[in-house]
Amino acid sequence: MQDYPLLFLVWLLPLFGAVILWAFGPQLKSMAGPIGSALIGVSFIAALASWNDATAGAGAHQFLFSWLPQFTFGLQWDRISLVWTMIITGVGFLIHVYSIGYLAGDKAFARFFAYLNFFIFAMLTLVLSDNFVGLLVGWGLVGLASYLLIGYYSEKPSAVAAARKAFVVNVVGDIGILYAVFVIVSKIGAIGYGDVFSHVSKFSPGELFAVCLGLFIGCAAKSAQVPLHTWLPDAMEGPTPVSALIHAATMVTAGVYLIARCAPLWNASSDARVLVGSIGALTAITGAILGCAQWDIKRILAYSTMSQIGYMIMGVGVGAYDAGILHFLTHAFFKAQLFLGAGIVIHNLANEQDVRLMGGLRKQMPFAFAAMTLGVLSICGIPGFSGFFSKDAVLSETLAHGHPIMWAVGVLTAGITAYYMFRMLFVTFLGTYRGHVDPSELGLRHPELAGTTAAHHEDDDHGHALHAPAWLMSAPVALLMIPTVLIGWLDFGGENSPWGQFFAPVFGHFEAPAGVPPDVLTSLIVLVLIAAGITVAYMRYGNPSALLDAVPRLRAETVRMPGALSNAFYFDAAIDALFVRPTIVLGKFFSSVVDPRVIDAGVREASISASWLGHLCRSFQTGLVRAYALALAFGAACFAIYYVVIGAGK
Amino acid sequence: MSAPVEAYITVSAILFFIGVVGVIVRRNPLIQLMSIELLFNSANLALVTFARSWANNDGHIFAFLVITVAAAEAAIGLAIVVIVFRKTTFVDVDEVATLKG
Repeated sequence: MQDYPLLFLVWLLPLFGAVILWAFGPQLKSMAGPIGSALIGVSFIAALASWNDATAGAGAHQFLFSWLPQFTFGLQWDRISLVWTMIITGVGFLIHVYSIGYLAGDKAFARFFAYLNFFIFAMLTLVLSDNFVGLLVGWGLVGLASYLLIGYYSEKPSAVAAARKAFVVNVVGDIGILYAVFVIVSKIGAIGYGDVFSHVSKFSPGELFAVCLGLFIGCAAKSAQVPLHTWLPDAMEGPTPVSALIHAATMVTAGVYLIARCAPLWNASSDARVLVGSIGALTAITGAILGCAQWDIKRILAYSTMSQIGYMIMGVGVGAYDAGILHFLTHAFFKAQLFLGAGIVIHNLANEQDVRLMGGLRKQMPFAFAAMTLGVLSICGIPGFSGFFSKDAVLSETLAHGHPIMWAVGVLTAGITAYYMFRMLFVTFLGTYRGHVDPSELGLRHPELAGTTAAHHEDDDHGHALHAPAWLMSAPVALLMIPTVLIGWLDFGGENSPWGQFFAPVFGHFEAPAGVPPDVLTSLIVLVLIAAGITVAYMRYGNPSALLDAVPRLRAETVRMPGALSNAFYFDAAIDALFVRPTIVLGKFFSSVVDPRVIDAGVREASISASWLGHLCRSFQTGLVRAYALALAFGAACFAIYYVVIGAGK
Repeated sequence: MSAPVEAYITVSAILFFIGVVGVIVRRNPLIQLMSIELLFNSANLALVTFARSWANNDGHIFAFLVITVAAAEAAIGLAIVVIVFRKTTFVDVDEVATLKG
């Protein structure tokens, strides 16, 4: 059993940081940020240093402890874990550094970094675990970290409500995974990935589908897939670095990880592939359509995240695992970049998040504009940028695996994505600044109904008295620009590209059936749709005449927004009507009927019976000596008669 | 063996019956105590009779034990009667029913 001490370093340093920052936060004060960031940086370097262990053969394995016979825990360090660990610690490190600037002077500065380090530890537990139970532990812990960080501004009721919602929805997913683990343990009697995947044939098709379904419920909740996606837009209540790290780059892609990890299960169940692929495609287009109707810059990005994860899930769902993971990789960079760019804007505008109250920021914040432009070009899939490679890989492989409808939905989504991302870019950065315009002129009478929950200057109290140097926020964004543009080139060359070679030993080689249109066709159709999307966005928001009368135009759009869009297709209302309210009714029924009339009544009945029995027994206790004597004599007489009769019988 | 065992047993039974009736029927505690003595002694008579008829000395030893217990019982019983008589003017066991449940 070979030991990999570096792996422990990668895994446990963030936990160490979390404990230290938690315990000594008040003493460390502003040192908490650099310490937390440095620990993640060391963790990243340690992961880099053990790169070769992961790529050698089937990867490295570190035994941790044995729970029960057949149930051992360990760390698995292979190519899939490697990709995720690189993103978690690498992008995590950049976002930690950014947070030092973003949250400078915040009263709970150290607590924030403790949570952030704890999240990194939880996420590493999730991706490094070599078995389903360890995965579930990590799965639950990232849910907890997400809850703590969404509710970080705990004085804001909307943040607390969003945190609670995220937690509850994620628990639904946890139960799905728990159910799948139960089925696996009962059928195979082991929890390790290797043991389970080498016995896939022990499952009947129905059981296999049940396992995949249970696992996918977990993925859907964690990765914001329809219909369990409603928590993700609300999760934008958390600080922007949290949105970038947890709700864009890493945690929400845990579902993609799980499906890629469980590729042998999905390979064996075509029903599961169709289900997951369809849900992914549905999520992609739902997120894109809803992204067109949002006014909160972070919510636009949240819906775009949801849509992009839909692509990833569609990719890994239909069996194009390397394409799905590639999209995860590129998305982690360009979405982190977009969020961090948006964070710079929000930070400089004193927590304003409504794009209708922005405008013309190109001159004020040229760096944020450049960063977000690169991000937008990448997410739209402009050729040469990384998003182009990964999105095309997902789409063309979906077609090659024989799912033309999902392919069509994905292609359409690409066009819509171009539209709403450029809409955000134009409205935010072009034209003139609208921050001084009376909100009612923009149709902002009811911020909640208009699709924004921006904290309108209400959280000035955690203001930024101590301004950190600006490079702390711009340097990570500048670093992220490089992979945002270039990382997709890893996939240049298809089968023989570095990316294809990297994952060939893990997922094998897929031979596309004959008669599938070439990749170039997909690329061309997507490009036409992207151009159309950008053109529409330009006509509506970007051309000079639209910019001149931006205020009345935005007002008109706000007022005329269809209810279905501004209410996000009524998913929240439907969940409320289908689950929340029946649960409340059931709870009221139990509190008003079952509790007083059954449970309390049972207890009361027991006490009444005991009291009645006591009365009965007390009545024998007359206090009369002669009565006792009579009873004694009677008893003795009974014995005497009994023995006389017995004696007579013999 | 001058008289048959049945005779002794009959006397013992009659004594026992008188004792039981005395305890149940009479209200004077002194009379009740005397009736209890009758019960003890009827039992003693039966024990001694059987001991002699089966030539086994266990019965005699039992009888002595019973006599000892009877003495102790009489002492305690009389003490209770004296204490009760001090508290109340009645000498009637039915009046002393303070332990009624």
